[in-house]
Amino acid sequence: MNIVETQNLTKTYRRFVKPEGLSGSIRNLWKREYEEKSAVRNFDFALKEGEFIGLIGPNGAGKTTLTKMLTGIIAPTSGKISVMGFYPNDLKNEFKRQYAVVMGQKSQLFFELTTNDTMRLFKEIYELDEKEFRETKEYFTELFDVRELMDVQVRTLSLGERMKMELIVALLHNPRILFLDEPSIGLDAIASNQIRKFLKQVNQERGTTIILTSHYMEDISTLCERSVVIHHGCKVYDGRTEELFARYQKNKKITACFSREISPGESLPMAEIVEKTPHKLVFIVPKEAACAALAAIMPWNPTDIAVEEDEIGTVVERIYQEGSRYED
Amino acid sequence: MRRRSKKIFRVLRELIRIRLQNLMMFRLGFFGPFLVDGTLFAVQLMVFRAIYSNVDRIGTWKEGEMILFIGTFSLINAVSMVVCFFGLQQIPEKIKKGELDLYLTKPVNPLFRITFEKMNPGSIPLVIMSLCIIGYGIYLMEITPGAGQVLHYLFWVVVMMVLYYDMMVLIRCVCFYLVTNARLEQLEDAALDLCMKLPGIAFYGIWRIIFCLILPYGLMATLPVQCMNGEMKWQRALAGIAITAVFTGLTLFVWKNGVKHYNSAGS
Repeated sequence: MNIVETQNLTKTYRRFVKPEGLSGSIRNLWKREYEEKSAVRNFDFALKEGEFIGLIGPNGAGKTTLTKMLTGIIAPTSGKISVMGFYPNDLKNEFKRQYAVVMGQKSQLFFELTTNDTMRLFKEIYELDEKEFRETKEYFTELFDVRELMDVQVRTLSLGERMKMELIVALLHNPRILFLDEPSIGLDAIASNQIRKFLKQVNQERGTTIILTSHYMEDISTLCERSVVIHHGCKVYDGRTEELFARYQKNKKITACFSREISPGESLPMAEIVEKTPHKLVFIVPKEAACAALAAIMPWNPTDIAVEEDEIGTVVERIYQEGSRYED
Repeated sequence: MRRRSKKIFRVLRELIRIRLQNLMMFRLGFFGPFLVDGTLFAVQLMVFRAIYSNVDRIGTWKEGEMILFIGTFSLINAVSMVVCFFGLQQIPEKIKKGELDLYLTKPVNPLFRITFEKMNPGSIPLVIMSLCIIGYGIYLMEITPGAGQVLHYLFWVVVMMVLYYDMMVLIRCVCFYLVTNARLEQLEDAALDLCMKLPGIAFYGIWRIIFCLILPYGLMATLPVQCMNGEMKWQRALAGIAITAVFTGLTLFVWKNGVKHYNSAGS
């Protein structure tokens, strides 16, 4: 049974086009020209309960617009949409009680007060009874290890701590679906890792369906079994995240250190040398040529060798370029 | 129905608590408004005094009715300052910046939450002072109202508070459709400023249409005073209730339609 389903979902905005200069502005007083911009186009998508899915795409691809349509914040221009059997933009309270949304750039906490104070309001909004409220709060406070921060003014918390609080507040009513829009924006590596660990646990232990929008491929590759790539409002990939990365991870980076000076010369024909010092060589080769390249450097008796995957940023660039070609 | 009322009451109670706690985080912020609003009110009174020391009658109204009028308008204004003014004031900003997103995704009426989210106890002295002026006006009118008349007066004050609230919401909902409502807010300020000094009975012809039907601030303190001085006829009462009902319906329609038109803001 699908928990989310969309068919030909489209969201079009009308935007005003202003001709250059003062004369253009004067003409515009009487006659205005508009152009239509599709933020999401003919988007077909289905999601099963309990899945953890990643939405990937460059800025302006339509990820946030899609999330806003799924949560009912904005209405689609055309197409079908069903989330837990509801049409989201009807904004029915029974619907809103069953999901939560966390937006990395918009906080739902009261900055001058403590997280406990915000939670009290949410308890009433979601009509939670005292026992259920205490148990859930206890569970997440333990899980996120933030017991001593619950009575601290929110504005004095670090960004990472604040994001944990946002997640606790959002999960307080045990939503069936959690929408996360850039939850790790601005977080350092340690905080991002912690958040990832907690999200994985929430998905596995509570069965919460999670839809994650992120620019950080680390988030997507470690958390989401399935990924959807959006480009210019269209879906360009929908499948296993592993396959997505395998498809676009084309090269290997090899770093080799030597005890004596070496001169590779013509012995590495497929390689692109990116760093060369008398005792160190760093080069990139197509992944199918990696074994041959390793065999070629072995006779020089390396003291250390490291083989790495393509940098995640390079992979992302390729995915988006592929998206552009699909558009053309 | 009972469950829904219970929920509304509980959320309201929590919003009041949160607001009070928020205000109490800063001691000067909590006590300051009592002093500032009290001073503003005193200045307003001095202006009224200067005007009405030269004029003792407008239409059929004598000084007592005019003082009651000033007190009633101040009461309506002060109650809205305590309850909803600062919350509603944020509607344009929330629409423009996309902050309404988080209100729309919660299972509680977003307008209800915005209305009661920024209550301002600092304006309570204004309510008390307004009540004193109302008492003084009634004293000058040389009447001793019975319980029925007081209830009748209070009924009209409540109805006019609803109308006042409708106008505030309507003017701010314009931001769902246009980039800014700044000019409309200026118009609201100007109309309020005028109608706080001149009762509705002073308007004739086109001005009566404007200040009774389009920007109905001319009705707001006038009808409660008319019910106290015996000038309230059933036709006038019916018109007052009909106008409030129309504006309330319009407000609900514009809000709901605005939410449907809401496009949020870029991420």
